[in-house]
Amino acid sequence: MNEILWKIGGEAGFGIKKAGLLFSKLLSRLGFSIFNYTEYPSLVKGGLNTFEVAFSDSQKSFLKKDIDVLVCLNEKVFNVSKDYIKPDTRVIFDPLTFKPEGEFIKVACPVSKILDKSGNSAIFSNMIFLGVTLFIFDFPIEKAFSLINDVFKGKSEEVISVNKKMISEGYSWAKENLGEKNRIKLNKVSELKKRAVLTGNDAFALGAVAGNCKLYAAYPMTPASSVLSSLALWQEKVNSVVVHTEDEISAVNMAIGASFAGVRSAVGTSGGGFALMEESISLAGITEMPLVMLLAQRVGPATGMPTWTEQGDLLFSVFAGQGEFPKIVLAPGDVEEMFELSMKAFNLAEIYQTPVIVLSDKFLSESYENIDVSLIKEIKDRVGIDRGKTSETFTKGYLRYKDSQDGISERVIPQKNGVFYQANSYEHLEDCHTTEDPKERIKQVNKRARKIKTYLKKHFSSPKFYGDKDSDIVFVSWGSTKHSILNAMKLLKSSNKKAGFIHFTHMYPLSTNLGSLFMDKNKRYVLVENNSTSQLGKLLRMELGVNIESKLLKYDGRPFLPEEIRDFALKI
Amino acid sequence: MSTIQDFTGYQPTWCPGCGNWGIGVSVKLALVQLGLSPSSTFVVFGIGCSGNMNDFLNAYSIHSLHGRSIPTAIGMKISNHEFTTLVIGGDGDIYGEGGNHFIHGMRGNHDITVIVHDNRVYGLTTGQVSPTADKGFKSKSTPQGTLNIPFKPLDIAISQGATFVGQAFAGDTVSMVKIIKSAISHKGFSLVNVLQPCVSFNKVNTYAYYKERLLNVPKVFTTKKEALSFVIKARSDDKLPVGVIFKKDLPTYTEMLTQLKNNTLVKSPKTTDIDSLLEEFI
Ligand SMILES: Cc1ncc(C[n+]2csc(CCOP(=O)(O)OP(=O)(O)O)c2C)c(N)n1
Ligand code: SF4
Repeated sequence: MNEILWKIGGEAGFGIKKAGLLFSKLLSRLGFSIFNYTEYPSLVKGGLNTFEVAFSDSQKSFLKKDIDVLVCLNEKVFNVSKDYIKPDTRVIFDPLTFKPEGEFIKVACPVSKILDKSGNSAIFSNMIFLGVTLFIFDFPIEKAFSLINDVFKGKSEEVISVNKKMISEGYSWAKENLGEKNRIKLNKVSELKKRAVLTGNDAFALGAVAGNCKLYAAYPMTPASSVLSSLALWQEKVNSVVVHTEDEISAVNMAIGASFAGVRSAVGTSGGGFALMEESISLAGITEMPLVMLLAQRVGPATGMPTWTEQGDLLFSVFAGQGEFPKIVLAPGDVEEMFELSMKAFNLAEIYQTPVIVLSDKFLSESYENIDVSLIKEIKDRVGIDRGKTSETFTKGYLRYKDSQDGISERVIPQKNGVFYQANSYEHLEDCHTTEDPKERIKQVNKRARKIKTYLKKHFSSPKFYGDKDSDIVFVSWGSTKHSILNAMKLLKSSNKKAGFIHFTHMYPLSTNLGSLFMDKNKRYVLVENNSTSQLGKLLRMELGVNIESKLLKYDGRPFLPEEIRDFALKI
Repeated sequence: MSTIQDFTGYQPTWCPGCGNWGIGVSVKLALVQLGLSPSSTFVVFGIGCSGNMNDFLNAYSIHSLHGRSIPTAIGMKISNHEFTTLVIGGDGDIYGEGGNHFIHGMRGNHDITVIVHDNRVYGLTTGQVSPTADKGFKSKSTPQGTLNIPFKPLDIAISQGATFVGQAFAGDTVSMVKIIKSAISHKGFSLVNVLQPCVSFNKVNTYAYYKERLLNVPKVFTTKKEALSFVIKARSDDKLPVGVIFKKDLPTYTEMLTQLKNNTLVKSPKTTDIDSLLEEFI
């Protein structure tokens, strides 16, 4: 099995991400599985941008520690990556820019000379490096050209041909100067299935379209912003409306207004914007209005480290909004789960007429994976659209907040000459009018709370168990740490250590009979979380009375590498 | 044809003599006279004595959060632009807590009518100063008199993109009905600022105070410059204009959205096919 890590880095503004994404799409078209991870500071120009492409001939690829090919547009990249270089790492650099020292395979490509000769500026160096890369892996250059034709569709002939030419130049240089021995031999892969290269945010945006979300309102905030730009770009094609509002408070209330009118709507933001939306989450709770919210977490508190990852807002989302009302929190672990759970979120919001929060983080929202297009379609058909007790007609004596066994009242979409009613932010009677009567208050509180019971019975998904049932160690985690842990388990297997993994995606409410999952005295349960206070640990203690002592926590803004988790497990 | 009875909900709980009574009646009369019915009208209420009209006026309505009625109404209008859409709230709600939505909501010329009960105090929370109070106004929260100068809704609306700006006096229902009717009939963002005596907590800006200062708007201005000069001049003369001050016909937000050419958003065909979108990711 081949597991390769290719990393490119350079100053912001030099097409690091562009080159990385092109390479990933090429790999995907060739039949490899890919996983990308990008790091960049909260700056537009300057600063260091890196883009890692992990690829594999297996079903799924993921980050690893050791770099196989390192493309350095400047010395900084080399310096920050040094520790992950092995003797057979190919380090590609321009000797006219800097000369790295150390034990590894040096690929000194005179990029600036090539640029000078062709009269092109330094922004094309990424393409020359890409050409060298193609040679190293023996990838067909025509495939790269046809990809460029597709990706740059709509750009001028000139732009397309310069990019191609620079790739060719890099390739030719490598062919003349490197020879076969410097190539990395890969297993043959078959390119049978069409795969899409998607981030978690792309998956949310596609899930929104597939879920017939017609209004998306947002205020830009990293790492949620790309959902806004994708949906804005598609709005005419898919007959939706996307509004960049004056602030997040406006966004969430606009979505609630749309919901009242019968339109599926959503908002997306990060922690700061979510904080501003909180009062309206509570509004959606008492008015029983469907509301889907994407919360793409980043490092806090306050402005924190805007472009880095953290799972710091689990409890914030669980507790968001004043007062007591039902709320559903979901946390997909990868792109596939993101697509599925975002579609599901739109269904749950309408079925339970309450806010549904989809928790992501920078790592999931901005890392790319390739996934089978046929699988996306299969999920889309399977999840489908379920509007619950939403209806366009009404019967005489209709009561918007009528008490019911499952806690859910019929919701009639406003029609002209239909039955008017109000969505009341004050406590209300079944007929919507304001009340402070104790009996009516209890009736409505209990009615809303019953929705939780119904949800736990009908739509809650227990955490998934992965790995060996008879292991001594069981990782317990949630959301985007999924593949770090699954890959750590693979590594542990090769060190003859068995491991199990309980992965939560349906975070809240939690079914109270999950406690037994954590009761095996012969096992060591280990919480793995990208935060400093172990928020899942606290949630399990609060909801299930389960106390897990052992913890592996990371809160430096970086995701877990599988090797870190393996090393921790080997020590205990 | 609907009647005033169709629009009438619970008996209002406003203080006897409060200007809100006049506004409540005028809104209903305007809706009836325009041939609207409760089930063809969206209304979003703010939080305050004014917003309490939610239980007194029948409509498809949301009693929203303090300050948040404008974006809520915009979401409703974008989703079903065939519905007449009103916002009803207080000056504390719409100009204070929701000030950001007020100044930005206008920029898109959303076809909604915003009716503000301007009583220069917070009524429901029992008499603190509001943004429209004069400098020096003494209240529970400003016992020594407020140091702030008043917020100027008319000037802001005229310059910020509202395409209909009017002012009414709660003590004159006849002219108020006319102004509210033209505001609702106007296609675009309409503001009606209603000078509303709060008999319980504002002993300065009383019915008599307003009556002495009312000034009928001589004509509807169609340029911002004329409208603004008129409003500024009236203020320096210690006068309060009533009538339609500014009106301009411009395309509304939903008219500008090509997606909504043939259908309202809520009736637009399901377009959940993602196959062609996926192509760009391959
Ligand atoms: C976020 C929030 N802050 C404060 C309040 C308390 N509150 C309710 S009404 C109100 C002010 C009401 O004044 P105004 O909007 O002028 O309406 P009026 O009662 O005068 O009609 C306040 C501060 C609230 N409901 N929500
Ligand atoms: S407190 Fe003032 S505004 Fe409120 S109802 Fe009484 S008089 Fe009217």
